[in-house]
Amino acid sequence: MPSGQPVVETKELTKQYGRFVALDRLTMSVERGQILGFVGPNGAGKTTTIKILVGLARPTSGSARVAGADCVREARKLKRLVGYMPDTFGSYDNMRVGEYLDFFGAAFGIRRKQRARRIDEVLETAGASTYHDLYVEALSHGMKQRVAIARTLLHDPEVLSLDEPANGLDPQARIEMRLLLLDLAERGKTLLVTSHVLPELARICQRVAIITRGKLRAFGTLEEITRQLHPLRPMEILLTNADRIDRVVEVVKKYVEPGAEISPAPAEAVVRFRTAKREEELAGLLTALVAAGVGVTQFREVATDLEEAFMTVARSSESDEQEGELARNASEAEPARSASEGPISPTRQRGGLR
Amino acid sequence: MNPIIRRELLEVLRTRRAVALQLGLALGCALLVLLRWPTGEVADLSGARSMQVLRVFGYGLLAGILLLVPAFPATSLVREKMKGTLALLLNSPMRPWSIYAGKLGGALGFTAVLLTMTLPAAAACYALGGTGGEGGIGALYAVLGIATLQLTTLALLVSSRAQSTDGALRATYALVLVLCVVTLAPHALLRGKTGPLVESASWLRCLSPVPAVMEVLGQGDVGSHGISAGSGVFLRYLFLAAIFSVICAAVTVAGLNHKLFDRARSAGVMTEDRSEAGQFFRRVLFLFFFDPQRRSGSTSAWVNPVMVKEFRSRRFGRSHWTMRLLAASAILSLGLSYIALTGALGWGIEVVGGALVLFQVALLILFAPSLAAGLVSAERESGTWQLLMMTPLSPGTILRGKLLSVAWPLLLLLCATLPGYIVMMTIKPELIHQVRRVVICLGLTAVFAVLLSAAVSTLFRSTAAATTASYLSLLAVCGGPLLVWLGREAPFGHPTVEAVLTIDPVAAALQASATPGFARYELLPANWWIIGSACVALLVILAVRTWQLYRPE
Ligand SMILES: Nc1ncnc2c1ncn2[C@@H]1O[C@H](COP(=O)(O)OP(=O)(O)OP(=O)(O)O)[C@@H](O)[C@H]1O
Ligand SMILES: [Mg+2]
Repeated sequence: MPSGQPVVETKELTKQYGRFVALDRLTMSVERGQILGFVGPNGAGKTTTIKILVGLARPTSGSARVAGADCVREARKLKRLVGYMPDTFGSYDNMRVGEYLDFFGAAFGIRRKQRARRIDEVLETAGASTYHDLYVEALSHGMKQRVAIARTLLHDPEVLSLDEPANGLDPQARIEMRLLLLDLAERGKTLLVTSHVLPELARICQRVAIITRGKLRAFGTLEEITRQLHPLRPMEILLTNADRIDRVVEVVKKYVEPGAEISPAPAEAVVRFRTAKREEELAGLLTALVAAGVGVTQFREVATDLEEAFMTVARSSESDEQEGELARNASEAEPARSASEGPISPTRQRGGLR
Repeated sequence: MNPIIRRELLEVLRTRRAVALQLGLALGCALLVLLRWPTGEVADLSGARSMQVLRVFGYGLLAGILLLVPAFPATSLVREKMKGTLALLLNSPMRPWSIYAGKLGGALGFTAVLLTMTLPAAAACYALGGTGGEGGIGALYAVLGIATLQLTTLALLVSSRAQSTDGALRATYALVLVLCVVTLAPHALLRGKTGPLVESASWLRCLSPVPAVMEVLGQGDVGSHGISAGSGVFLRYLFLAAIFSVICAAVTVAGLNHKLFDRARSAGVMTEDRSEAGQFFRRVLFLFFFDPQRRSGSTSAWVNPVMVKEFRSRRFGRSHWTMRLLAASAILSLGLSYIALTGALGWGIEVVGGALVLFQVALLILFAPSLAAGLVSAERESGTWQLLMMTPLSPGTILRGKLLSVAWPLLLLLCATLPGYIVMMTIKPELIHQVRRVVICLGLTAVFAVLLSAAVSTLFRSTAAATTASYLSLLAVCGGPLLVWLGREAPFGHPTVEAVLTIDPVAAALQASATPGFARYELLPANWWIIGSACVALLVILAVRTWQLYRPE
C-alpha cells in the first residue's frame, strides 16, 4: 500500500447497545506507519471502537476499513491483518510462556519450523526473552503486558490495536513500552493505542483522537489540537522582583495583539498574558525584555499538553450535554470560549515546568 | 450476630437462583407426596403406605442434600480468596475461627432454609400416620441435619485449599462420592466374613449417611445387598459424622492464615537444563512424555492446536496424573475380574460385571463434567475467548479441538477398564454379546456426559456455575431414576420403574450386564435411541451456541 493512503479509515461509525449510543458517527483516518493515540475518559467508547476495528463487534451503522479489509464483511481476512491486544491479558492456566505463544502461533497457521524462531523473535522485541519457561499465570502485570505484546506481534500484522498497553506499568516500563511502540511504527506498522495516561501518548503519537461520550471531539496532530483548542497560548514571565513590573507590562503590550489580556501579579513577581504569536515573534519579545533590563528569570509557555486539551474537551462536552441541542450546533465556537475562561490553575503551572 | 453470616446469607438468599431452588425443592417434595397420596376409601391401618411415601421422600431429600449442599460452601472460601476479600478479612481483627464460623453459619443457614421448605411435605407424611418409632420423621431430619454439617465442613475444607472455584467444586463432589458411596464398598466386599477387618469396615461404612437413612426408613436390605445390615447404624453415623465435621473444621481453621496467599508457582528447573543423570532419572520416572518440566515441542500442523492447548492448560489432562489414573483403573478392573475368576468372594460374574460397570460410570460422571464444563465458560471467563476469535480458527475447528481434548482422556479411561471384560469373556465366551451391549452403553454414556457438560458450558459465564450445573444435570439424569428404582417394590410399580429407567444410561448399562435387580427390565434398545437423540440435540445446542458466541457483538 502506498504511503499517504489511509490504513485505518472509519466513516460515520455508530454503535448502539440497545438505546444507548456508545459510539456516535465517528469519522477518522490514520496513515501507514503512524501512531494514533485514542484518548478519552472511562466509558468514552475507546474499547468499543477498537473492537469494531478488529472485527469483534459490529457497528450499528457506518463503515470501517482496516488495511484494505472491510471490518464487517471481511472479518476473516481482517484477522491476519490486525493484531489485537485487549485490556485484559487472557491467560491459560498451567501453560508456560513458550507454550502459550506456540498455541497462538499454531492457531495463526505459522509453520512449525518457523514458529520457534518467530516466538524467540517476538519475545526479544517485547523485551521478554527470559520469560520463555515461566508459567503465564505467575507473571507480574508488566510481564504479562510484554507477553501480550509478543502475542500480538506473532503473526506479523500490519495494524496493531492496543487497548491500554501502558496500564499498570511502572515509569521505567512505560518508557520502554513507548520506545517499543516507536520501534514498531518505524518498522512500518500502524498503531492504534488507547490510553488515559495522556502525557505518555503525547510524545509518540502522530495523530490524536479525543473522544468523550461516544463522540469524536478533536482529531489531528497534537499541535493542531492544541492550536484548535487554545488559539491564545498562555505565557508567563517570571521576574527577579516586582519593582519594574509596570515596565514589563509596557514591553509586552507592544508585542502582543492589541487588546490582549495581560495580568501582572506583583505579589508573585509574575506577568501572565495570552497571545497567538508564534515562536519567532516571542523570541523578539524576550530580547526586548532583556534589553530593557527588567531581570527576567524565566520566560515560558504554560503547558497546553494533551492533558490540558483533554480536560478542555471533557469540560466542553459536559456543558454541551447540559445546554442541549442548540449548544451542540455551536460547538465549533466552544473551544475558544473554554480556553479563555478561568485563571491559570496550579496544574497548568506544574505542566509548564516540564 | 457474626457479620459474615449475615452477609453470606443475605447474599445467597437474594439471588434469583436461590429463590428458584427453594421453590423447586418445596414443589418437588409436595409433588412427590401428592403422587403417592392414598386414594382409596379403605383406611390404611398398618401404615405401610405412608412408610412407602416417607421412603421416597427421604431418599429424594438425601439425594437433594448430597447434590445441592456441597456446591455453595465449596466455592465460598476459594471465591473470597480469588477476589482478595479473604486477605482483607484475615487482616481485620476477626479471628480465623470466627471467620470460619461465619462461613459455616452462612452455608448451614442456607441449607436450613432449604430444609424448612420441605417441612410441609414432611408434615403431610406425618399426617398419614404410621411413621412413629425408629423410622420417624424426626430421625430422618436428624440424619439429614448432621449430613449437612458433614458435607459443609468437608466442602469448606476443600474450598480453603483449592486454587480455583471450579477446581474446588470438582474435588468436593469427588470427595462426596467417596464419602457416601466408596466407603460402603469394603463392607460389601467382606460380607459374610468376620474379624477385626470386617469390624473396621462396618465402622467405615457408617461415615456415609446412606446406611443411616436406610435404617431410619426401615430398609435394612435393599436390593444392593450388604449395604445395610445390623442395627445401631444411625447412632454410629451421628457419632462418626460429628467427629468428622470437627476434624474438618479444625484443619480448615488451622489453615486459615496468610500462608494461603503465599503459594509459590515457580517455573522449576526445566529437565533440559538438568545434568545428564538428572535428565535420565526424570525420563524413567515420568516415561519421558509425561514430564511436566520438559520443554514441550511445537504443535504439529496436523493436529488441532486447540486440542493441544487444552491438554497443556489442564492440570489433570496434560501430565503424569492422567497416566496414574489410567494405571489405577486398569489395575482395579483386573482385580475385579480376578475376584470373579477365583470366585474368592462368592460373587457371580454378574455382580462383578455390575461392579465394573458402576465403577466405570462413576469415573465417567466424575470426569466428563470436570473436563468439559469449562471448555467454553473458562475461555469466556478469562477473556481468552476474544483472543480465540481473533485467530483465523473457525468455530468448527475450535469446537472440534475442544471436544477431542475431552474425548481422548475419556476413551483412554474406558479402554483402561476393558481388560476386566476381556478376562470375563475368556472365562465365559458366551458373554461376548452382553459385553458388546455394555460397551455400547458406556460409550453412549460418555458421549452424552461430555456433550451435556459442554453444552452447559456454553450457557454460563463462570466455570464454577457451569461445573455445578453440569454435575447436577448429569446426576439428575443418571442418579434420579435409580432413586425410583430403589422404591421398585413399593411404592412404584414395575411399569413406572421401567419407564423411568429407560432414560437412564447407567441403568441401561447395568441391565445390559445383567446386574441383579436390573435384569428384569427391558431397557434396550429404547435407551440407546433416547440417549442417542439427546446427544444429537445437545450437539446442535452446542454448535448453535458456539456459533452465536463466535459472532461479533
Ligand atoms: N456489551 C455492552 N453492552 C452494553 N453497553 C456496553 C457494552 N460494552 C460497552 N458498553 C458501554 O459503552 C460505553 C463505552 O464503553 P467502552 O468499553 O468502549 O469504554 P472505554 O472508552 O473503553 O472506557 P475505559 O477507559 O474505561 O476502558 C460505556 O458506557 C459502556 O457502558
Ligand atoms: Mg476500555
